[in-house]
Amino acid sequence: MSDHASASSADAGVQEDLACTLLSKHFGDFTAVDGVSFSIPRGSFFSILGPSGCGKTTLLRMLAGFQQPDSGDILIKGQSVLNTPPNKRPVNMVFQHLALFPTMSVAENIAYGLKRKGVPKREHATLIDEVLAKVHLPGYGDKRIDQLSGGQKQRVAIARCLVLNPAVLLLDEPLGALDLKLREQMKIELKRLQREFNTTFVYITHDQSEALVMSDQVAVMNKGQFEQVGTPQELYYQPKTAFVAGFVGDSNQYAGKVQSQSGDAVTIVTEQGVRLLSHANQPLLAGAPVTLFVRPEVMQISTSRPATEQDNCLAVTVSRVLFDGAQSRVQVETAEGAELTVALPQTADFQALEPGRSVHVSWQASQCLCFVAPADTKPLGTQ
Amino acid sequence: MSKTSGNFNRTQYRLGFWLLLAPIVLWLSLLIILPHIDMVLVSLRERIASREYAFSFGNYTAFFTEPLYWNTFVRTAVMSIVATVMTLIIAFPVSFYIAKVLTGRPRIALFILCLLPFWVSELVRTYGWMILLRETGLISGALQWFGLADQPVEMLYNDVAIMVGLIYTSMLFMVVPLVTTLDSLDNSLIEAGYDLGGSSFHVMRSIVIPHAMPGIMSGCIVVFMLTLGNYLTPTLLGGKSSLWFTEQIYTQFITRFNWEQGAAFGILLLILSSLIVWLGLKITRQSFTRVMS
Amino acid sequence: MIPSIPSSRFFRVSYLSYVTLFFIFLITPLVVVAAFSFNDALFPSLPWNGFTWDWYLGKGDPRLGLFHDNALLDSIGVSVQVAIVTTMASLALATCNAFLFEREQFPGKNFLYVLMLMPLVIPGVILGVSILVFSSTVANWFEVQFGIEIEALRPGLVLVTLGQFAFLTTIATLVISARLRKFDITQEEAAMNLGASRLTAIATVTLPFLKPALFGAGVVAFLMSFENFNTTLMLVGSDAPLTIAMFDRLREGSTPVLNAVSVLLMVGSACLALVSLFVQRPAKP
Repeated sequence: MSDHASASSADAGVQEDLACTLLSKHFGDFTAVDGVSFSIPRGSFFSILGPSGCGKTTLLRMLAGFQQPDSGDILIKGQSVLNTPPNKRPVNMVFQHLALFPTMSVAENIAYGLKRKGVPKREHATLIDEVLAKVHLPGYGDKRIDQLSGGQKQRVAIARCLVLNPAVLLLDEPLGALDLKLREQMKIELKRLQREFNTTFVYITHDQSEALVMSDQVAVMNKGQFEQVGTPQELYYQPKTAFVAGFVGDSNQYAGKVQSQSGDAVTIVTEQGVRLLSHANQPLLAGAPVTLFVRPEVMQISTSRPATEQDNCLAVTVSRVLFDGAQSRVQVETAEGAELTVALPQTADFQALEPGRSVHVSWQASQCLCFVAPADTKPLGTQ
Repeated sequence: MSKTSGNFNRTQYRLGFWLLLAPIVLWLSLLIILPHIDMVLVSLRERIASREYAFSFGNYTAFFTEPLYWNTFVRTAVMSIVATVMTLIIAFPVSFYIAKVLTGRPRIALFILCLLPFWVSELVRTYGWMILLRETGLISGALQWFGLADQPVEMLYNDVAIMVGLIYTSMLFMVVPLVTTLDSLDNSLIEAGYDLGGSSFHVMRSIVIPHAMPGIMSGCIVVFMLTLGNYLTPTLLGGKSSLWFTEQIYTQFITRFNWEQGAAFGILLLILSSLIVWLGLKITRQSFTRVMS
Repeated sequence: MIPSIPSSRFFRVSYLSYVTLFFIFLITPLVVVAAFSFNDALFPSLPWNGFTWDWYLGKGDPRLGLFHDNALLDSIGVSVQVAIVTTMASLALATCNAFLFEREQFPGKNFLYVLMLMPLVIPGVILGVSILVFSSTVANWFEVQFGIEIEALRPGLVLVTLGQFAFLTTIATLVISARLRKFDITQEEAAMNLGASRLTAIATVTLPFLKPALFGAGVVAFLMSFENFNTTLMLVGSDAPLTIAMFDRLREGSTPVLNAVSVLLMVGSACLALVSLFVQRPAKP
C-alpha cells in the first residue's frame, strides 16, 4: 500500500506516532483527565488500563477528536491536531459496540472510509479483499452485518479502520461484549493484527488481563491521571503506587503501621496485630500507616514448618478451599483473625486439604511491597 | 479542505440547533397556537354593525340559555364516553387474543386483518353501515327473509346506529395501542401470577391490566377525541336526529355564518375534551407524554 | 388465558367465537360496499339483480360509471395532490423535529414536546375552524391595511393542505422519533472517524437507518390526508377533495358509483399496504 510507505518516509524524523502533553479535561467541577502526558513509540501496542470512570474514555475521545481538551496538546506524527476536526484526523477508532453500519454490507462498511478519502472506486475491490484476507475473513464482502458472529464483527470493525492506514488505531474496550472463550482468542488475534499491520494501537480497557497479554506498554490510569507507565512485567512486579499494586493482579492487602526499618526491609504490624517483614522503596517513619501487598502465588504453603528460614512464616488454619483448576486458591486465617488468600498448587500434597486443617504459609520480604496509606500516595510515583 | 477549529464546529452546531428549532416553532405558532388564540378572541366579541365588533360574553350566555345547545353538548359528551368505554370493552379481549393467545403467522395475519378496515376512508366504512342498516338494507332484508319481520325495518337514524358506527370507526385506535402494550408484557409474569396461586380474574386485574394501563389510556384518549370531534358518522347514521355538537359548530360557521357563536362552541368543545382527557389521566395516574408516545 | 395455562374447553370455544364474531363485524360493511358496486341496479340495496361492470365503465346517465365520471375523477386528482404535498411537508418537518427532540438539550424542551403533541388531542373540526378563523383574520388585516387580497388565505386547497399538515406532522414526528431513538449515535461518530463530515454522516448513515420509519410515516400521512374529512370540511373551497365530493353525493342519495369509488380506494390502500410491507421487510440477499 503505497499510501503507508509515503506517509512513513515523509516524517521519518519523528519517532512517536502519538504524543500528548499535559492534557486536561473538566466537566463542570469534575476533572475527567488531569494533566496527562505520554508518548507512544511507532508501531507499538499501548494500553490504558483503569477502572470505569477513571477518564480513559474521555482521553480516547479527545484523541479521536470527539471532545476538545481544556488544555494541553495532542501531537500525531509530530503535528498538533487540536484544530483538526474528527473526520480529518489520521486516527481511526474501533468503538466499544463496534458501530458497524447495519444498513451496509461488510464491503460497503469497509469502503465507507475509502469513499470519504476519495480513493478511486476501481481500487476499492482490491483494498477490501486485501484487508479482509488479513483479518482472516476472505470472501465475506457481500455478507450483511447481522449475518456475522461477534468475533467476525470485531474483525470487520478493525478492517474498516486499518484499510485507511491510520497513524494510530484507537480501540475502546472492543472485547467487552464477547464471551470469555472468544475474548481469549481475540486477544491473540488483535496482537497478531497489530504486528502484521505494524500500526500503533491505543487500547483502553478495565480488564487487566487484556492489557497485560497484548501490550508492549501499559499506562495505569486512576482519577484522571497516569499512575504508572511501563511494560506489563514492570507493572506486575514493580508497581510504583499502592493503586497499581492493588489494581494489577490479585493481592492480599493489609493495613498496618511501620514498626521499624533497616535498609530496604521494614517491619510492619497489621491491624490484626500480625508482625510481617516487607520490602520498601523508600524510607518510612516509624508509626506511619501503610498498606501491604502480598500476591497469592508468592506464598508457599506447607503442611509442616518450612525447614529453611523464611522472612515471614505464619501458622494458619484453612477456612475454605476455592477449587478452580490451575487457578485454585485456599483461604486461610491466622490466630489473630487475619485472612489470607494463597495460591494452591495442584499437586498431590495438597489434594486432601480441607477446612480446619492447620498449615503454614511463608514468603520472603522481597516478594511483598508496602506503600504509605492512601492519603499521601502521590509522591511515591516520582521517587 | 480548510481546517476548521473546534470553536467553529461548536457555532456550527448551535446554528444547526436554531435551524431545527425554527420550523417547529413556526408550525406550532402559526397553525396551532395563534389560530386558537384568535378563536378565543373571536368568540368573545359581538357584531354591532358591519365590520364593527364589541367585547361580549354573549356567545357563551347564548350557549347556556338555549337548551338545544347545551343539551346537544351534554348528549355528545355522554355518548362519546359511552362509545369509548364500549370500544374498550369490545377491543380488549380481541387484543388480548392477538397479543397473548396467538403466536407466529396467525397472529400477524389477524393483526393485519384488524387494521384492514382502517386503510379505507371513514366515509366508506360509514357508507357500508348505511347499506346494512337502512330500510332497504341487508339486515332489514335478512329479517324479512327469516320471517322475523313482516315489513322493511328502518334501523338507521337512531342512537344505536350512531353508536355502532362510532365504535366501528374507532376500533383501530383502541386495538393497536392495546396489542402493543399487551405484547410487551412478558408471559412469564402471567405464569408467575398463576404459580403464586392467582385466579384468572385476579391475574387479569393485578398483572395484565396495570401493565396495559398506558395502552388503555392512550387508546381511550384517542378514541374519545375522535368520537367527540366526529362529524361524518353522526350526520350520516343519525340523520336529523343525531344532535351532535360538531354539527352545531358546522352550522354556525358554514350555514349561518355566525363565526362568533361557532368559535365559542369550538372553545367549549375544546375545554370539554381537555377536561375529560385530564381527568382520565389524573384518575389512572398516567402522564400525557408517556401515553401519547 | 395464555396457551401455557390450561383453561376449560367451554372457555376456549366461546373466546374463539367471540373473536370470530368480532372479525365478522369488522369485515361485513366493507364486503357489502364492495359487493354492491357490481349490482345491476340503480341503488345500492337489495334485491340482487345480477352482476354488472356498469358502475365502473358505464358511459352515460343514469349509469355513469366511475371511469367516466369526471367530477369524481377530478376530486381524486385533487386528493392526490393535497396528499402528496402534505406528506412531503410533514415528513420534512417531522425529521427536523425528531432530530431536535432526540439530539438537542435546551430549556423548555418538555414544554415544546407537549405542545408538539397537542394536535393529536384537538378535534379535527376545531383545528379546521381555528385555522379558518385565523387565516381570515390575517387576510382581512392585509386587505384593510394594504388593500391586498390574499387568495391563499381564503378557504381552498392551500388551507386544506395546511390544516392536514398541522396534525399529520405530529404523527410523523412520533414515528420518526421512535426510530431515531433506537439509533446508536456512535455510528455517526464512527462515520466521522472514517472521514465523513457531520452532514455526510447523517446523510449516509442516519438517514438510511431512518428509511423504514420515513416510509412508514409517509404511507400513514398519505392515507390520513387522503381520507381526512373533519379538518378538510371546514377549510374546503370550490375544489372538493374526494371525501368531500363523496359526502355531498351521499347526502343527495347514493348510486352504486360510490361503491365503485370505495372499491377503488380499497384496492389503492391494499396496494399501498403491500408495498409498505415489502419495503419494510429487511432485504434478503
